Amino acid sequence: MATTQLTSISDHNFEQCLKCSICTVYCPVAAVNPAYPGPKQAGPDGERYRLKDPKFFDEALKLCLNCKRCEVACPSDVRIGDLIQQARMKHKSYRPKMRDMMLASTDLVGTMATMVAPITNFTLGLKPVKAVMHGVMAIDKHRTFPAYSQQKFEAWFNKNARDYQNTFAKHVSYFHGCYVNYNFPQLGKDFVTVMNAVGYGVHLLEKEKCCGVAMIANGMYNQARKQGEVNMASMRKSIDQQRPVLTTSSTCTFTMRDEYPELLGINNDGVRDNLSLATRFLFQLVDEGKIKLAFRPEFKMRIAYHTACHMQRMGWAIYSTELLRMIPGLELIELDQNCCGISGTYGFKKENYETSQAIGETLFADIEAAKPDYVSTDCETCKWQIEMSTSVKVLNPISILAQALDIDATRRLNSSEWHRMDA
Amino acid sequence: MNNKNNHYDVIVIGGGITGAGVARDCAMRGLSVLLLERFDYTNGATGRNHGLMHSGARYAVTDKESATECIEENMILRKIASHCVEETDGLFITLPEDDLGYQKTFVEACRAAGIRADIIDPAEARIMEPSVNPDLIGAVRVPDASIDPFRLTVANVVDAQLHGADSLNYHEVTELIISQNRVVGVKARDMYTGEVKEFYADVTINAAGIWGMLIARLAGITINMFPAKGALLIFGHRVNKMVINRCRKPANADILVPDDTVCVIGTTSDRVPIETVDDMRVTDEEVRVLLAEGEKLAPSLATTRILRGYAGVRPLVAADNDPSGRSISRGIVCLDHEERDGMAGFITIVGGKMMTYRLMAQIATDMACSKLGKNAVCETATTPLPGSEQQKPASGKQAFAINAAEGRHGTFASKIKYESDTDRAMVCECEGVSVAEIRYAVENQHVPNLVSLRRRTRVGMGTCQGKLCACRAASLLGRFSGNIAKAQCDLAQFLDERWKGVKPVAWGSALREAQLTATIYQGLCGLDKAIARKEDEK
Amino acid sequence: MKFDTLIVGGGLSGLTCGIALAKRGKRVAIVAGGQNTLHFYGGSMELLGNVNGKDVDNPIEAIAQLNENHPYSKIGADSVAELAKKAKALLADVGIQTIGDATHNHYRITPMGTTKPAWLTIDGMATSDKADQLPWNKVSLVYLEGFIDYPIDFAANGIRQMGVQVETPTISLDCLKRARRSATEMRPTNLAKIFASTSAVAQLAQAINNSCGDADAVLIPAVLGIDNDDVCNMLKAQVNKPLFFLATLPPAVTGVRINAALRHYFQMLGGRYILGDTACKVVTNGDTVTEIRTTKLLDMPLQADNYVIATGSFMSRGLVADFEHVYEPLIGLDTNAPDDHEKWSQYGMMGDQPYMSYGVMTDGNFHPLKDGKTLTNAFAIGQILGGHNPVVMGDGTGVSMITALAVANQIK
Repeated sequence: MATTQLTSISDHNFEQCLKCSICTVYCPVAAVNPAYPGPKQAGPDGERYRLKDPKFFDEALKLCLNCKRCEVACPSDVRIGDLIQQARMKHKSYRPKMRDMMLASTDLVGTMATMVAPITNFTLGLKPVKAVMHGVMAIDKHRTFPAYSQQKFEAWFNKNARDYQNTFAKHVSYFHGCYVNYNFPQLGKDFVTVMNAVGYGVHLLEKEKCCGVAMIANGMYNQARKQGEVNMASMRKSIDQQRPVLTTSSTCTFTMRDEYPELLGINNDGVRDNLSLATRFLFQLVDEGKIKLAFRPEFKMRIAYHTACHMQRMGWAIYSTELLRMIPGLELIELDQNCCGISGTYGFKKENYETSQAIGETLFADIEAAKPDYVSTDCETCKWQIEMSTSVKVLNPISILAQALDIDATRRLNSSEWHRMDA
Repeated sequence: MNNKNNHYDVIVIGGGITGAGVARDCAMRGLSVLLLERFDYTNGATGRNHGLMHSGARYAVTDKESATECIEENMILRKIASHCVEETDGLFITLPEDDLGYQKTFVEACRAAGIRADIIDPAEARIMEPSVNPDLIGAVRVPDASIDPFRLTVANVVDAQLHGADSLNYHEVTELIISQNRVVGVKARDMYTGEVKEFYADVTINAAGIWGMLIARLAGITINMFPAKGALLIFGHRVNKMVINRCRKPANADILVPDDTVCVIGTTSDRVPIETVDDMRVTDEEVRVLLAEGEKLAPSLATTRILRGYAGVRPLVAADNDPSGRSISRGIVCLDHEERDGMAGFITIVGGKMMTYRLMAQIATDMACSKLGKNAVCETATTPLPGSEQQKPASGKQAFAINAAEGRHGTFASKIKYESDTDRAMVCECEGVSVAEIRYAVENQHVPNLVSLRRRTRVGMGTCQGKLCACRAASLLGRFSGNIAKAQCDLAQFLDERWKGVKPVAWGSALREAQLTATIYQGLCGLDKAIARKEDEK
Repeated sequence: MKFDTLIVGGGLSGLTCGIALAKRGKRVAIVAGGQNTLHFYGGSMELLGNVNGKDVDNPIEAIAQLNENHPYSKIGADSVAELAKKAKALLADVGIQTIGDATHNHYRITPMGTTKPAWLTIDGMATSDKADQLPWNKVSLVYLEGFIDYPIDFAANGIRQMGVQVETPTISLDCLKRARRSATEMRPTNLAKIFASTSAVAQLAQAINNSCGDADAVLIPAVLGIDNDDVCNMLKAQVNKPLFFLATLPPAVTGVRINAALRHYFQMLGGRYILGDTACKVVTNGDTVTEIRTTKLLDMPLQADNYVIATGSFMSRGLVADFEHVYEPLIGLDTNAPDDHEKWSQYGMMGDQPYMSYGVMTDGNFHPLKDGKTLTNAFAIGQILGGHNPVVMGDGTGVSMITALAVANQIK
């Protein structure tokens, strides 16, 4: 009787649900799409019935964005979003469509597209092509695909940066993610600039695969698991060399830290604690006095910070915002916590377009009202959505830091610091 | 009412499963019948047991006759009451502290009683039933199942009515009308209006379970009954898929049954005075016993949320030749009071088990028929109950609440009409009860109050024990029944009835839930003020 | 991370305390392990509604009748009166206009059509000066088709009992068609998201004008104004009769609005609101708290000069009851609860349940006790404090705000 009723946290965490329905207030989907039964019904209520009989699995669960806002809101710590994803994984009967597979296979499609970037970008933008995609592929015609870069980040890095990384005394590995690699290498370049400035050499992982977030969303669990295992193996090697792994994407980080073990059953022990978001890593170094930042005195910027859903779920937004607040010329507005509606590939699908935009409406209005120079967020798909849906451009906090830092002065501060410690 | 002149062939007293079964059997044999129940159908022991459809294995070693009855009725109920039955099968497990030698005795006794009993390897048992205590050293698989007593009883009542019977719940029999050593009728008080009505019949059948002792007293007759309290606990979800029993001599808390969305551990067994049987409360000692023993069947019960506790009273009958009560029978007792006590027109049917209600009904009806000179064959073993006429409908892709309603009402679910979007709205989100199902129940299933509505539909039986749904359901009940003020009082009574079961387990999530419920109803809604106002009026 | 004050718990008391401190230029962070009980409040704050079974008219005067363990007794009636004024002003600052004051309770009208004493009520909600009398002869109680979280028949019944004629027109709006299609999500807050649009409000106003015959006031469920009261005012302007809102079942739109308004204001003052993270470990050194760890910030300790524990009662998990004990899970503070679970509650749901009055022990300044000794740089505020039964006494929101402000005053 040692444990008798001392805790009610069984394998079935859904039992802590008090049926208070607070989660339904914060579900972006239920408010705009009546086909979705809402987090309470899809999560803890439904789970109880699914345990009785799997026939109670509702295909409408695929309408869940997996934003986890329900979990953040839950006063009882019920893993509502996880319950829904796990139910989908366990019970789903549908197979991913061709379109979903294409959207989810960011690596494959990205590689092909980058090789022929100008053509791809041109074709993806053409009206007839969009019409075909809308009709045949069910990718919404309102969507502009993020442009593919002509040069992959990896190629740029290998050509321009790799050689001098060993000259630094401390090192990190960079999980750049698909978006930096194929669509927006500039963020990767900014990351290298900042890390080098504070005295860290940057290295690529031996092998990097897409984190798999889009595959999870599209039901391609086995593929996601395979890629996850590759990533974990590479990261273990890096960590063994005393190189923690950093990312500039909240979604990739969340997926590899939390969704790998929770949903995919991938063991990330040993990696999880050494896999971090760049802003958190930097904030902690500053907070502990291990690095110093010097800013350009003339730098002025008004920023509206949007907490991406997975960033919110990780609870790390404060690292990014506190880091941004260190910049003297920066005025920070924290946007109210609302989902932008894109949720990775979700918003690209024709059937979800309307829901997706309806979800984002509040956020878009808030952004326009705040009149910032830029929006800042740690998630790349939020960036697409906000740039597609508002007049404001979006920057990752690391890119803002790269612009705000007096790079030379920072480098001097940190190298002298290092030498002094060394001596 | 079908019968205008208040005279029947048979009056059945008691709306538990036995009385409902008797009413059905009588009606199917062409008798005119009135069924009277003091509170709601299933209010007594019928609604307060495990919901276990015994294979008979539990009695095989000690009481072969009961065991044989059980397995025969078990097979019949699978056919005639398929919408009330879930064919889960059961395990009889041997733990290290138990004598594995008993298993052999057990299996042989089962087989002798005609119960299939397969010895299975503990490893296989662990796979078959992942929640089972992994330390088990032996397991036997038997055809136990889970059965819903509420549905079963209501289906019997409904079928009795379809065959011309009248049925009144919330009518308490206060007096037997006796003329020249013959029971010729009863006086019954309408529990809501207080009105006392007289009904007459050639034969009156006392099927009131433990309360049958008090009914018999009304005719000056003594029946030796021993009220035995049994307490049970309901857990928040299904921990087990199969019934789990201990393979040993029957003892406390050795059965864990998966019932609908929950599972139930029980029972204890304690003699209680007859004066107390109307208000059975689960004691802390019982809670501790149930938990301690329950954990041995399925260790995860130690950390699973408990929804509530409840207790019923078994009507144990002592053999007539043994007034001391030492020789208690669990078998069926059918007393012809004309023969036994010189009181004509009066029969008592008692003892037995929920499992054997149909057989009990058959025996009592046979006796009534012979008194009435009626020669009619019993067809209850072959005629499906309403709701079970066909095999369970294959649930396809449809709304959650529709799926859930099909599980509850069987083929009758097709009578639930979803005419508007609002009809589909979910009243009870834990149990998937829609507005349309509530309306169906109110209009067709004798639902004078919220507690009855709960028994018909499971509204308020889920995790939160009626947090938001109690108010929604009470509103709808008021609207569909036309008595809003009463529905509001019902709401308070319903919450109090739910709390009675939660109180013995009020810690952890149950206590949190209770605090939130009180915050909503006492705080936000001011329901306490509505009740106080009602009391002022009185 | 270092702050002047760190508040654990982001509900009414935590936010009130946070705002009071941030207004004085303090660096304050609030760690909120999820949303809070404001979501269950129907638009009124209660200072003290009932003592010894009798409705209270003047809460300040009634404080004298409370026992010494009641949080108000520790503060004293005069100070409570002062703080009550500040609380009302604070709500006005964040954009929540209220009626009422601490020396004279008014009555809020509940969804059951009964009245309960209230201290402050959001402007626009239906209220009355008297317990058993309403200020109208005939009201139109509007029902929105398909909305089952509003027991309109009970409300109508209760209002009729107070001698008011009631009509209950049903309004079926096109803009709610989509909401009705969901079996579960036609909730008050989801309706409020629809009524955030001016065209939906105009539709509602027109429908009300068309259906409210000769009633002298219109009552509608409080399903407008989840962000602010602009749409409420818009509706009032467009309806040609006096219009008031009546609370619904939770989640309560008014509560969500108060919550959001407090949080925005706190953040605007520079406060850090860390939502969805749970304080899991408190490090103490002798009689002081030195740092707090959370489940998500991991190796990053949160440090401050003062720590305020505002984690609420059982339902908010500020207190935990298991099979054997009632305990405060964060620091292991002393509580006033006995160890026998049978004593925690009693039969009769609406009775004075003992567990409702459980809480952590504090000294007269709300410094909590651990192992009988006070923690000198920590405070406990709000529903984690014992000594009162909020549902029976009608003092929950009052205790939350008043103790929060009392503690904010003590923090230098």
